[in-house]
Amino acid sequence: MKRASRTTTLLPYAVTLVLVVFVGFPLLWMVLSSLKPSAELFVNPPRILPHAITFEWYANLIGSSDAISLFKNSLVVGVATTGICLTLGTFAAYGVTRFDFPGKHAFLGAALISYVFPAIVLFISVYMIVNSLGLIDTRLGLILCHCILTFPFALWMLKSFFEGVPREIDEAAWVDGASFAQTFMLVILPLSLPGLFSVAVFVFVLSWNEFLFASVMITSGDLKTIPLGIAEFITSFDIRWGEIMAIGTLATVPVVIMFLCVQRYFVAGVTSGAIKG
Amino acid sequence: MRLAAIGSGGAAPGQRSPRVAARFAAFLPDHKARIGLVFIAPALAFLIVFVAYPVIDVVRLSFHLVDFATDQEKFVGLANFAHVLRDAKLGTVAWNTLVWTVFSLAGQFALGLTAALCINQRLPGMTLIRTVLLLPYVVPVIALALFWRWMLDGSFGIVSAALQAAGTIAPDQSPLAIPEGAMASVILANIWRGFPFVMISYWAALQAIPHEFYEAASVDGAGAWQEFRYVTLPHLVAITKVMLVLRLIWTVTFFDIIWLITRGGPGGATEHWPIWIYQETMGFFRFGSGAALAVLLAGTLMLLSAVYLLATRRSAAR
Repeated sequence: MKRASRTTTLLPYAVTLVLVVFVGFPLLWMVLSSLKPSAELFVNPPRILPHAITFEWYANLIGSSDAISLFKNSLVVGVATTGICLTLGTFAAYGVTRFDFPGKHAFLGAALISYVFPAIVLFISVYMIVNSLGLIDTRLGLILCHCILTFPFALWMLKSFFEGVPREIDEAAWVDGASFAQTFMLVILPLSLPGLFSVAVFVFVLSWNEFLFASVMITSGDLKTIPLGIAEFITSFDIRWGEIMAIGTLATVPVVIMFLCVQRYFVAGVTSGAIKG
Repeated sequence: MRLAAIGSGGAAPGQRSPRVAARFAAFLPDHKARIGLVFIAPALAFLIVFVAYPVIDVVRLSFHLVDFATDQEKFVGLANFAHVLRDAKLGTVAWNTLVWTVFSLAGQFALGLTAALCINQRLPGMTLIRTVLLLPYVVPVIALALFWRWMLDGSFGIVSAALQAAGTIAPDQSPLAIPEGAMASVILANIWRGFPFVMISYWAALQAIPHEFYEAASVDGAGAWQEFRYVTLPHLVAITKVMLVLRLIWTVTFFDIIWLITRGGPGGATEHWPIWIYQETMGFFRFGSGAALAVLLAGTLMLLSAVYLLATRRSAAR
């Protein structure tokens, strides 16, 4: 009996240790490589721990206006996408969780299908729409594309958060004489703020990480987002691994921190079946 | 004033022109239904213009020849489909897509289920481990592609060095330079990125199994394997079904990892369907052929999903 309980304790730890190394080592290796001087970066066989630490690669990046502009563009596109998506999404999610109207299930079904619909199938026609609107190679065009990708997901996740706020609260507000708009803005929205915040983070992360639409829509150097900028960084000329590992780290750290802040809600979102992979 | 009007249940929402409001009211007498429609209207308009229309438009485009320079379109019937289906690389791309999908899914489900069963144990530290294992889900694919390429670099990559030392590959060679090695590398990268989603979904399903089931099983003298077989497994069937469809769609159509690590190379060895679509469209500006490839892909996936869901529904009913 005692032996059995020891194996049932040790086995999960042993298995997860392997998985943690599988997940963590590449990330750690990226960070370590970004801190190694050339002399240690370019040796064969590689050494795991650096003997000397350098911030040279980070300094190079921060000193170059190109890298700064990548981060600025990603931030602008991400924030705008999040704002538009959340505005559209909260109204719609409130509408479907609080009111019955003809076509509601069709609407939800359509939202679910668009949530599953892959970008690689959509991007050709979206490119032509954005082109006919004259928005190719503009931030607005890319923001629009990112809204297309993230909106169905945001709607679905917001719906699950609004379902968690009891309808009785709305009804109490109506009885007290609040209009539908007042109930929505002053009662329900404040109550769902944690949920809204976590959806905002996920929309932002999806936009921050998005590559396909950015590569199709953006051609000028000063409008490029991080994924697009770095992708060209490695194909353009000699591969500067130190700087590349540094910019990879800089691109990863903000989203990891944001994710850690809201991962509680992420887990709740999965339970309600509302997460995009 | 407005509050009273809403309370009476007959007035129009907001302060719009009385005629439009009256027509809207006549069309839909139920006041609350009208309010609901007003709330979803912007989202509905967005979905119609930017999702529904592109879906229809890609089908239309697949029957047209698009001259992007002059912005002219000409109906060509099935010529685009004929063009891509007669392409010499059709077989290779289809095979690569199959290999990429099958091995990615197998790896993601195997690791995901294993990890979920582990973190579901009530042991100290498991919450922290769960958080760490979820990280690949948010790491930008571009960062993943960068450190993958760096670890597999022929001269200075740590994984290449280990493989070179083991004699699996030649000195100074990168696995990415060998067709099978490149395919294995991108699949491994995709498993790294995708298994946390499977893990957390399975974990949520495991959390939902009532503890009494396990107590009852152990009272009946079930061992660990029997518990797994007769209590745990049946509770994972539903989520497996949904996830297989979702992961299938998102894996087959996932473009970024392969593009950013190998660009489909070496010599087309990792070129899968999405890369073909991208190259036809953005590389050769053959929008019609790209659309035909996209329609073939989406059609196949819809058919597969429908057949799978129908088949499993029938077996569940039996």
